[in-house]
Amino acid sequence: MIEVTGLRAAAGEFRLRDVTFTVPTGAWGVVIGPAGSGKTTLLEAIAGVVTPLGGRVAIDARDVTWAPVNGRAVGLVYQHAYLFPHLPVRENVSYGAGNPAVVEEVIDALAIRSLGERHVASLSGGERQLVALARALAQEPRVLLLDEPFSALDPKRRGVTRRVVRDWHRTHGTTVLQVTHDFAEAGLLGDVTVLLDGGTVLQAGSSAEVFRRPATPYVAEFLGAENVLAGAVVGEAAVEGVPRAVEFHSGALSIVAISDTPTGPCHAVIRGEEVILSRDPQASSARNHFAGTVTDVALYGAYARVTVDVQGVPLVAMLTLPSLRDLALEPGGEVHASFKAFAVHLC
Amino acid sequence: MAVGSVATATAASLLLLFLLLPVGELVVQGGAGGLERLAGDAELQQALALTAWTASLATLIGVALGTPLAWILSRRKFPGRTIVTAALDLPLVIPHPVAGIALLLVLGRESAIGGMLAQGGYGIVSSPLGIILAMLFVSAPLYVSGAREAMARVDRRYESVAQTLGDTPWQAFRRVTLPLASRGLLASAVVMWARAVSEFGAIVILVHHPRTVSVLSYDRFTTYGLTEVIPVAAALVILALLPLVALRALRRGEGDRT
Repeated sequence: MIEVTGLRAAAGEFRLRDVTFTVPTGAWGVVIGPAGSGKTTLLEAIAGVVTPLGGRVAIDARDVTWAPVNGRAVGLVYQHAYLFPHLPVRENVSYGAGNPAVVEEVIDALAIRSLGERHVASLSGGERQLVALARALAQEPRVLLLDEPFSALDPKRRGVTRRVVRDWHRTHGTTVLQVTHDFAEAGLLGDVTVLLDGGTVLQAGSSAEVFRRPATPYVAEFLGAENVLAGAVVGEAAVEGVPRAVEFHSGALSIVAISDTPTGPCHAVIRGEEVILSRDPQASSARNHFAGTVTDVALYGAYARVTVDVQGVPLVAMLTLPSLRDLALEPGGEVHASFKAFAVHLC
Repeated sequence: MAVGSVATATAASLLLLFLLLPVGELVVQGGAGGLERLAGDAELQQALALTAWTASLATLIGVALGTPLAWILSRRKFPGRTIVTAALDLPLVIPHPVAGIALLLVLGRESAIGGMLAQGGYGIVSSPLGIILAMLFVSAPLYVSGAREAMARVDRRYESVAQTLGDTPWQAFRRVTLPLASRGLLASAVVMWARAVSEFGAIVILVHHPRTVSVLSYDRFTTYGLTEVIPVAAALVILALLPLVALRALRRGEGDRT
């Protein structure tokens, strides 16, 4: 378990301020935030590489705030690997490892046996990251701190390596805290998400909670929510037999949401994948139905981002490419958009 | 070729000529004679041997004491670090006879430290120990400065990673920083040794006898004139080329690993 409470730390002019969160034992935590938000400094403060100015860091319920780096049982993998350039790959991996059998296990798991006697200067960026991961895993740390550890790997190798590290984490009960810019990776791996910006925690909690229920419109936008609508709760919605149903207005748009948010200004967050598009009006359980006009269709790999003008308010829906083909959506075309009241998060 | 390029090449050539011409002339005029003289001149042989071992011992002391200081200056922030760094450069900028006078004040027989050492049988003035201390005083700052830069070039995150892998700070320094900075440290030690070998001003104030090669050259020049000193000086120049060649070789490889 990693418990960080009121942590303050400095790295040059940069300051971490009052950082608090918990990653339970055996869980996978993800730290996300813009460049320069303090993600690496946070990992270094937990590892003890950066001396805190205040607050508390505990590993498995033991206060290690002022403990030496080598007394924390924490593994640290930097984005740039920092392999020891004067040692061949195998000696890098076995550096600090107590059990030779584990070194062999890690080398096989990450498929780096062929790199064994090579000099680190001859390795590619991806190979360096694999060796750095192997070096950290080989010492069997209780806590593993990963700073963008998969960023230099090609997509195929990235997926395989994620699975290997994920399996290791499960079988060894290692608590992991990973820094990433990749929201997909954060959603895929993270049990706990910590959103950091400007050295402070904007939101921390279970990944489902943080992604589904962002604390502020800024957090929602940062986490890639496609629809963050400014407006106000105007009162209870006229939905018979549904407790906590409220009516939210954004411009001319009237949306039904399930929320305890009191009457007054706020924002509605609706993720694009929650918005269903159809050519014709369809009867469904969704409480929000709108007719609109497609204004933009943009392709993002296997997905399409379709923007629909609904009563002057742009509403974004995320579709798979087959759905886009079936609906034959093009800018200027008429379309119907719907989403459930549960899909609307007010903040 | 542009006018600017011609001017640059001319300026560079003039300085190079100015630097190399006297040394080249010395070697051409006295090189062969110097080597012959070296074979048959017992006083010159003794001076060379004395210079070599005192400079080597001064360098060893400088490396032993200067490496921890260089590490502290490259890795630790503390109040007055800038002042300490500046103070370390002081022996490099003051005239070396003045350095000798300063050392005489602290280590001469009349001083507290010098008196105690003399009572214990370790005379500073007119002894090899005085030569070693004079060499150490004027050349150790070169080692510390070079070693500090060599260690600063090693990213401290290598040490951090080593410590997360179980090393104590000392083990991380010994197993990671030291090997990565080794070429720079060795090059700095060679510079210190070369500077110690060539020292004259501080030595001649503190210790006239026994004579190092630089003092012997000066004595022969003032006693016998230019003709007599040329072979001695030429032999010294040829010997001085050895560490310079070693230094170039070290610097070519420096930075390959960091």
